[in-house]
Amino acid sequence: MGWEEKQVRGYSEFVRTAQHYHGRPIFALFCGDKDAEGKSWCPDCVTAEPVVRKELHNMPDESVFIYCLVGDRAYWKDPNNEFRKNLKLTAVPTLLKYGTPQKLVEEECFKAELVRMLFTED
Amino acid sequence: MATLWRRRERLLGVSGRLCRTVRALSGKNEYDLLVIGGGSGGLACAKEAAQFGRKVAVLDYVEPSPQGTKWGLGGTCVNVGCIPKKLMHQAALLGSALKDAQHYGWNIAQPVHHTWSVMAQAVQNYVKSLNWGHRVQLQDKKVKYFNMKGSFSDPHTIRGLTKGGKETIVTAENIVIATGGRPKYPTHIAGALAYGITSDDLFWLKESPGKTLVVGASYVSLECAGFLTGIGLDTTVMMRSIPLRGFDQQMASLVTEHMECYGTKFLKRCFPTKVEKLESNKLQVTWKNTDLGTEETDCFDTVMWAVGRAPDVKTLNLDAVGVKTNSETGKIIVDASEATSVPHIYAIGDITEGRPELTPTAIAAGKLLARRLFGQSSELMDYDNVPTTVFTPLEYGCVGLSEEAAVQCYGSDNIEMVCLREREQRILGLHFIGPNAGEVIQGFALGIKCGATYPQLMKTVGIHPTCAEEITKLHITKRSGLDATVTGC
Repeated sequence: MGWEEKQVRGYSEFVRTAQHYHGRPIFALFCGDKDAEGKSWCPDCVTAEPVVRKELHNMPDESVFIYCLVGDRAYWKDPNNEFRKNLKLTAVPTLLKYGTPQKLVEEECFKAELVRMLFTED
Repeated sequence: MATLWRRRERLLGVSGRLCRTVRALSGKNEYDLLVIGGGSGGLACAKEAAQFGRKVAVLDYVEPSPQGTKWGLGGTCVNVGCIPKKLMHQAALLGSALKDAQHYGWNIAQPVHHTWSVMAQAVQNYVKSLNWGHRVQLQDKKVKYFNMKGSFSDPHTIRGLTKGGKETIVTAENIVIATGGRPKYPTHIAGALAYGITSDDLFWLKESPGKTLVVGASYVSLECAGFLTGIGLDTTVMMRSIPLRGFDQQMASLVTEHMECYGTKFLKRCFPTKVEKLESNKLQVTWKNTDLGTEETDCFDTVMWAVGRAPDVKTLNLDAVGVKTNSETGKIIVDASEATSVPHIYAIGDITEGRPELTPTAIAAGKLLARRLFGQSSELMDYDNVPTTVFTPLEYGCVGLSEEAAVQCYGSDNIEMVCLREREQRILGLHFIGPNAGEVIQGFALGIKCGATYPQLMKTVGIHPTCAEEITKLHITKRSGLDATVTGC
C-alpha cells in the first residue's frame, strides 16, 4: 500500500488525525508556520524538511506521515502551549515516531542517516 | 607476513579458514576496535575511540531472561539496574513524603495509594528513550552497531549471530569484552527457575508483583525490597546469613533495622528449599530456619531471586582464543591496563575479576582504555577509593575502607571511628547513612582522593542545617563506649 501524507495545522487537528490512523505506524514532523511565500519562521525547519522528505520512502508500508505546522513564533515560544505540555515537544523541528520515545530534534533532523534510522528501526 | 599466516593455519579450524580468506582479501582487520557488549563500559569505550577518528563497531545482544524479558541498547545500568532502580526508589520516597506532607500543612487524602502500572509504564518509557538516545549517539559518532551475539573465532575475529540465526563475521585489530553479568538462579531449589523472577524481570513487569519474597542479602535484594515496601506492597526479605557482605557491617545492620521499622519483613538465617505453584497461581515457598531448626512455608504472588550475579562469558568461546578467566568466579582476568591474557584483547566492567561492579568505573575504564589505545595516553584507571551508595529506604553512602577491611589492613589498634590511622590520621573510609547519602558522599570522595586527614576534617566548617554537617563533627570513638546520639541542634 505504501505510505500516505497528511498535512495539519495546530494541536487539535494533529490529535484528531493521529487518532484517526490509530493502528498504523505514524511519523510526524513538527515545524513552524509558513508565510505567504511558503517559508517557515523557523530556519532549522527550513533545513530539515527536504532532508526528511527525501527519506520518506524508507517508512514501513501502511505508514502515515503527518506534516504538522505548530503555529506562529509567539505561540511556539509560550512554555504552556499544548505541543509542549501534552506531546512533550521541546523544539522545532521535531521528527517523531508517534506513540514511542523515538524522536529526532533540531540538528538531528538534518542528518539523513538518523532520519533513515528513525523510519526503519524498531 | 607470509610466515605468520602459515603458523596460524595450523591452529585454526573450518571457520578460521573463512576468516583467513576475509582477512587475506582485505589485507587487514575491518575495524580498529570491536566492542562486545553495549553497556556502560562498552559504549563509553566505543564512543571515545570514535572521537579519535577510528573505525569502531559495537555488538550488543540481550539474551531474554528465563521469564522472557528482554530490552534494548544500553546494558544493565540503563535497562535493569541503576536507572529503573533509582526511579522506583524515588517513587517510594515520594510516598513517604506524601505521608509527611500533611504535618506540614498539605491537604492530601490519607491513606495514599500507588498504582504499579502507572509507575512501570513511565519508567519503561524513560528507559526506552535512553535506548534510543544511545542508538542516535552511536550513529552520530559513526560507530557501527550490530544487534548480534558475538563469539570468538580467533583473536581478531568475531562471529556475530542475529536473533534469526543470520551470521556475520567481523574482524578487528583490538577487541574489548564488556558483556557484563546476569542474575544467578539458585541451582538446587525445585521450582526456582520455573516460578521465580530476578531483577531482570522486576523492572519490566506490567502488573504489580503483589506480595513479594526477595531472596538474598545483597544490595540488589535490599534496594528492591525497600522500594516495594515503600510503594505499599507486602514484602519479605529472606537472608541466609549477614546482610550486605563486603560492606561495613555496623552500617549494614542500621540499614536493615531501618527497613524493618519501615515495614519490610525479614526472615533471618533462613534459606528456601522449594517453590511450588498453587491452583490459585500463588507461589508456595518452603524454607529452613537455621536458628530454630524448623521448616516453614508461606504464599507469595512473586518470588524474586537476588542471590548474586554471574559473568556473561559462556557463549563468548573464550577457550578458542585463550582468554583466561578466574576458575572460581568465571570472570575475565585483566591487568592494570585492562589487558587480558591475549594481546589486543581487553575487558572492562562487570565481566572483569577484582573490579567494582559499578557503572562509573566501567565508563571511566572504557574511556581511559580508548585513550591509551588510540590517543597516546598512558593513564591507567584508578580503582581506589571509589565511592558508592546503596539506595535502600535509608540510603547508605560510603567511600574508602569499611571498618572490617581497615582492621584487616592496618590492625585494630590503629583504627578509630571513620577508620583513621595514627600520626597524620589520614581518613581511610567514610560511611554515611541518611537521606541523599549519594549526594553527600560524592563531595567527600574528592577529599579522600586528596588524602584528607582527621584534623583537616575537624577544621572544615559544616553547613547548617544539614545531615552532611554531622561528618564534620565526628569525635566520639567506638572504643570509648560513649553514646554517640546527638541531641542538640
